[in-house]
Amino acid sequence: MPSLQKFMDRILNQLFRLVCLLMAFSGIAQAQQSLKLPDYQKTKLPNGLTLILMRQTEVPLVSFQIGIRAGAINDPMGKEGLASVTAELLRKGTKSHTADQLSAELDFVGGRLNFDTEADLMRGQAEFLKKDVSLGLDLLSEVLLTPTFLPAELNKLLAQRIDGVKQAKDQAAAVIQNYFNAYLYGSHLYARAEEGDEKSLAAIKRPDVVSFYEKNYGPESTTIAVVGDFDPASMLNALKSKFGGWKQKGSSTAVKLAAPVASQGKKLLLVDKPDSTQTYFLIGNVGIARTNADRVGIQVVNTVFGGRFTSILNDALRVNSGLTYGARSSFTQRQVAGPFVISTYTQNKTTVQAIDMALDLLKQLHDKGLSEEQLKSAKAYIKGTFPPNIETNDQLARVLIDLDVYGLNDGEINDYFAKIDALTVADVKRIIQQYYPLDNLVFTLIGKADEIRDQVKKYAPQLAEKKIGQVGF
Amino acid sequence: MKKAILFFSFVLVSIPLFAQTIDVKTHQLKNGMKVLVHEDHSIPSVALYIFYRIGSRNERPGITGLSHYFEHMMFNGAKKFGPKQFDIQMEAAGGHNNAYTDYDVTVYQDWFTPSALELIFDMEADRIQYLAFDPKIIESERGVVASERRSSVDANNFGLLNEQLWAAAYTSHPYQWPVVGWMVDIENWKMEDLKKHFEMGYSPSNATMVVTGAVKFEEIVRLAQKYIEPIPSHDPPPPVTTQEPEQLGERRVIVKKFAQLPIVMMGYHVPKAADADYYPLQVLNNILFAGESSRMYQRLVDKDQLALFVNGNLPQALDPTLFEIISQPKEGIAPDKVERAIYEELDKVKSSSVTDKELQKAKNALTAAFYRQMKTISGKANTLGSYEVFFGDYRKLFSAADEYAKVTVADVKRVAAKYFTEKNRTVATLIPEKEEAKADSSTATPAKSVGKKASARKK
Repeated sequence: MPSLQKFMDRILNQLFRLVCLLMAFSGIAQAQQSLKLPDYQKTKLPNGLTLILMRQTEVPLVSFQIGIRAGAINDPMGKEGLASVTAELLRKGTKSHTADQLSAELDFVGGRLNFDTEADLMRGQAEFLKKDVSLGLDLLSEVLLTPTFLPAELNKLLAQRIDGVKQAKDQAAAVIQNYFNAYLYGSHLYARAEEGDEKSLAAIKRPDVVSFYEKNYGPESTTIAVVGDFDPASMLNALKSKFGGWKQKGSSTAVKLAAPVASQGKKLLLVDKPDSTQTYFLIGNVGIARTNADRVGIQVVNTVFGGRFTSILNDALRVNSGLTYGARSSFTQRQVAGPFVISTYTQNKTTVQAIDMALDLLKQLHDKGLSEEQLKSAKAYIKGTFPPNIETNDQLARVLIDLDVYGLNDGEINDYFAKIDALTVADVKRIIQQYYPLDNLVFTLIGKADEIRDQVKKYAPQLAEKKIGQVGF
Repeated sequence: MKKAILFFSFVLVSIPLFAQTIDVKTHQLKNGMKVLVHEDHSIPSVALYIFYRIGSRNERPGITGLSHYFEHMMFNGAKKFGPKQFDIQMEAAGGHNNAYTDYDVTVYQDWFTPSALELIFDMEADRIQYLAFDPKIIESERGVVASERRSSVDANNFGLLNEQLWAAAYTSHPYQWPVVGWMVDIENWKMEDLKKHFEMGYSPSNATMVVTGAVKFEEIVRLAQKYIEPIPSHDPPPPVTTQEPEQLGERRVIVKKFAQLPIVMMGYHVPKAADADYYPLQVLNNILFAGESSRMYQRLVDKDQLALFVNGNLPQALDPTLFEIISQPKEGIAPDKVERAIYEELDKVKSSSVTDKELQKAKNALTAAFYRQMKTISGKANTLGSYEVFFGDYRKLFSAADEYAKVTVADVKRVAAKYFTEKNRTVATLIPEKEEAKADSSTATPAKSVGKKASARKK
């Protein structure tokens, strides 16, 4: 079930964005003592394109990651999903090949090439066997530089995407973050669903796609990272010959987002999904940016509160009470503050019990802070389980893209363990007060409204209700 | 156009299939547990997997889902390490864990920093030998599993329909009930059922341990001898003797519930993994379903635009299993239209074969898939263990290359004709009921109408 898997992946990505962070690890160093990002080479071509190369020879695969500042925040109002549709259309036809021909080429060599759109950026990911890298580069440059955006392909894709939104609504877990973001962020660009909705997708026409591409795609807004088994000098030359002539058409200025303002007071959105046997809920507010100075400390605190199996939330809601299969909390880090959420689900009749418990644990976190022992365990946990997050070529390439896109340096990796070690109980106390909302909370619930409406009114003076079948989020 | 022709001029260049093997050392403990070790020092991390040959296949009506529930109980305390300690100690030492249960196996997975190695062995040995059965914990874990079922079946139309597909396709063999179990069974297991199940499935001789990562073989053997070897073995679970009789006609299931879009699923009875037809079927699966150039994607998603997606799945199984086809019709497209298009594509393979180029494409894709499995220590551990269990020998992983190389166009045609027949198929369709049409708003526990087939996990 590929599309189902995609939704699951997206949920996991959201939940683990903080946990996995953007770190890398030297394969030779001792786990507990030091981290060092393996050597890499970074080049800026005269046309503004940034290239990053890292040689890793364990498996005969080469991974490409492409970051283009053409994310969902660049979508025009009312045409949400345009960035995502544009990205997916890249491989649906170029000046030299039809979509079918491109797929045939790619599948014949067992290659991978896909494009995902996040709020801040568009990510391209490609992987080829070492022996097929030359063909892979041909395909990659072709789809990035000469897409044709044929009307027939656009229409097919839009029809699928609109149905895709409906399909997602059959699973509360796949869409609850969209409802939450819309309700929390209001007029801020982060309120909008990255993949758009039934109405905004239907409004997209071919000239929108062409103009989005021309405005947002170009060498100055692009970073390409290559990690794998290759000769760096030859790879650099190959990349130069493929991309050196790419010209910037539109403005390369990134969208400057206003810092989101935290929601004041309490408000609750109830989304009615009448076949629900469980209520899914998110409770949270505006969280932190990717560059937040406290991000490592916040990760440590959140590991204890809702970031691992023995976390405070999971221990209480799952292990001790059997109310749910899992409960957690997460900070999604973006260019400006992404959402913070506590998330779980429970059967209809225990909805209030579970929400009360989550709120009580949040209160206790504020009142009690964390113990030395909890802090020590979380530090060991993060350091000990980190290496598999940067084990593969594609993981390393993603780290390199993120460092570049978010303007971070190698200290992000090389100083990571030192920052974790340096965190004190006093730091923790400050971080909790500063970043974990307590009195200002936004609730989003998807469930069987008739059974829970009256009971959940108590959480907020301000109440909104929607039906899952209604257009949009 | 010229470039396009050039582009296609490399067809039928064969890849040296699965040229790589990896170095695996093995040790047989005196109590019967086999240990596989692959040293890989590329990252300072270890993956330790234990495959128990017990799953929902070893259950019976009334205790369905017990293997999966047991998987959960294995984290809830033993003798030396009490309730919660398995997770608390492992996380504090720089490790984490999970587990999954399927029809045939229950697999425990530990990932940790090398300095935690001895602790992990100590804890694994403790729970294999001295698992505790605290009535209070049994009740709270029952709630967790019920919640897992609600999220994977009630709140997931794919899970719900898939459960119905398998329940209809099997009349005798245990694959007919879902791995997570029927809700009524989850609600009714007794302590005695649990104890019996533990005694049946958790003998060291019924398990294989796989360790990959930053370890030394000698050290693993030493720790296994110290902690695991003293645990006495007993009889393995009784053999599953029930066989599914040949299906003599199409079976159809319809599920009506609140949903935005319909779903179509089909299952065709096919052999177990260790059968010679596994490889040509896997090649056929690739040609029909893998990638946007595949026959089914081209027909249903791209050309006729009937479906959001169409996917095929051939599970690795100890007993004859189902080749599943899953598709979601687009809004306004009748499910039977999707169904007919799928049959037409299957018939084409039977009547006029696949091409040499398609065959080569499938082999190339399977080669790339091999390397992708080998990218991580975790992927290596899971793959080695799966081959050891489902193919009887982990070394079959390295000879899979030859098996795929041997597959011919005629083999693919033969297996298509043999298995993809009307008599051999079960079709399950989910028909959406819109909100206005909801007939029953009672909150009664959905009993037999829902369930989950796919493997269930600890978290």
